Amino acid sequence: MKLRSSRIVLYLGVAATCAVLLFPIYWLFVTAISPPADLRSLPPRFWPDVPQWQVFSRIAEERPMLLWLTNSTLAALGSVALSMTVSVFAGYALSRFRVRGGQSLGLFILTAKMLPATLLVIPLFGIFRSVGLIGSLWSVVLAHATLIVPFTTWMLKGYFDTIPRELEQAAMVDGCSPLGALFRVILPVATPGLAATALYGFVLSWSDYAYARTFLTNAQQSWTANLGITTMKGEYVTDWNEISAAAVFVALPILVIYLFLERYLVGGLTAGAEK
Amino acid sequence: MAGIRIENVRKSYGAVTVLRDFNLDIADGEFVVFVGPSGCGKSTMLKILAGLEEASGGRVLIGERDVTDLAPGDRDIAMVFQNYALYPHLTVARNMGFGLKMRGMDRGEIDRRVKEAAKILAVDHLLDRRPKELSGGQRQRVALGRAIVREPQAFLMDEPLSNLDAKLRVHMRAEISALHKRLGVTTIYVTHDQIEAMTMADRIVIMRDGEIQQIADPDTMFARPENLFVAGFIGSPGMNFLLGNVTADERGARVSLFGQDVSLPVPLAAVPGIAGRPVILGLRPEHIGPAHGPVSFAVRPRLVESLGSEKYIYVDLPHENRGAPADAKGADDERRGDALIARLVDAGAVATGEPITLSFDPARLHVFDADTHRAIR
Repeated sequence: MKLRSSRIVLYLGVAATCAVLLFPIYWLFVTAISPPADLRSLPPRFWPDVPQWQVFSRIAEERPMLLWLTNSTLAALGSVALSMTVSVFAGYALSRFRVRGGQSLGLFILTAKMLPATLLVIPLFGIFRSVGLIGSLWSVVLAHATLIVPFTTWMLKGYFDTIPRELEQAAMVDGCSPLGALFRVILPVATPGLAATALYGFVLSWSDYAYARTFLTNAQQSWTANLGITTMKGEYVTDWNEISAAAVFVALPILVIYLFLERYLVGGLTAGAEK
Repeated sequence: MAGIRIENVRKSYGAVTVLRDFNLDIADGEFVVFVGPSGCGKSTMLKILAGLEEASGGRVLIGERDVTDLAPGDRDIAMVFQNYALYPHLTVARNMGFGLKMRGMDRGEIDRRVKEAAKILAVDHLLDRRPKELSGGQRQRVALGRAIVREPQAFLMDEPLSNLDAKLRVHMRAEISALHKRLGVTTIYVTHDQIEAMTMADRIVIMRDGEIQQIADPDTMFARPENLFVAGFIGSPGMNFLLGNVTADERGARVSLFGQDVSLPVPLAAVPGIAGRPVILGLRPEHIGPAHGPVSFAVRPRLVESLGSEKYIYVDLPHENRGAPADAKGADDERRGDALIARLVDAGAVATGEPITLSFDPARLHVFDADTHRAIR
């Protein structure tokens, strides 16, 4: 009986948490398909009488959504590729090699993440302007990589720490070089960790606004989705349902990626490597 | 196949020395076991042999080749790890063939060797499975299979049975010994379990604090331990240690044990000046009998443990015989310095607190110097 009641409390807790987490997504969607007049009604309407489904096709036609989403995707893929290349080696080195000052170096990498983006944006702007990258998507790729690398390095270090050293030792006895052991054994085993880390970096880049706003404002062809959406806010009139519909377009790719990578994210591939 | 020679190998981590001047010649086809308590340097020595650790000094030769500075993959050795270290993303067949693939062997030959090794180890029905789908014993066999398909000069095994349960460990112990006899490959096996060492080894190397204590075959190790540590480490239950003061007369060296004058099995000439000095006397539990003998003494056991086929009788030591150093005891020995264990087979009924007569033959006593802890013979 006691077990049953504690189970009920558990389910209620899970339901409440899900409600809190899912409500903003639901509300974004409802705002998108509601007529503008419904948005300020009191009490609020939790589902419109006549859903305005055409809002999605309208903004797809009237706004360069595809271009913005493509730019966001390119920026995110570029920064993730760059960050993962750096952080796989950095995380592996921090996990496996004991060098004098290695621990301090690892912590120092993390301090880069402690600086607010708004503080870094000014020196980065100066650097990118001097090398002619302002207005180019590359500026955002590089800037995002500086944000992502510290976190992904530490995430991967943590993941590599969980992989027994004997695996690469066995690979080396079997004839691999240290680098060969990393690529042939450790990285395949670390696939769930790599997927989770890459996804984290992708989301970080995808959700950026400050860097895109600073580096790309004068280059409309390079606008990312987040930057593009803010231009939909008018000086006198703002169509919140259109902005919400655009936001749904922006949220959708992340949702789809999570669904596809879910099985990798839960891990479990290392089972059987050792007792 | 080849012999292995280890010459003056040292290993230090900064100021901490974990291996001192390790010298050993291993014959072609020999099965050598490194045994010792945790932290004695046995696994470090094995990793130096594998090339996974760099020695601070000395040389390692496999056959006539100096492999000291060669990468692990170039040494032509195979290693079995304590936690199996199977590649979790590969099937059993690809796990076993991985080393051959790295050496550029053609696919047909890899398949042939993998199937042959799998048959020997009775894992041929598991070749398409992943390691996580195998039991502990099956994983251990696959790890062995991965080693034998390589047909290397030597096998290195780092506590390969310690993750198995007791019953399976006994079974796999016999299988590894049989495999060694069948293949005849030089094998170096590391364990902290002296029973594994005694049952499997052609020769045992006992280590402590980075130093070799004794190198000998199992029977010699048991019968003629070089020092107190070896005497306490080998044997289960471990050897009993009693303290005694030597007196000398025309009949030879003598000590008082259980209140009786006992002749030491050591000629006085072997240790001039021993008279009046304390010595540590070792007596194995199995060398104590349940009836009257050359030296008999009546005691009341403070504890009797029955294992069915035999009984362990715990007896209080007289005060004059207490005080042997505690560090001489074996790793699995829970005795304090005030008790002696007798191991009696078919002893009949023995009860805690009830009087019983025990005996031993003084010729079975081992004598150790109380200062240097070295055997006196």
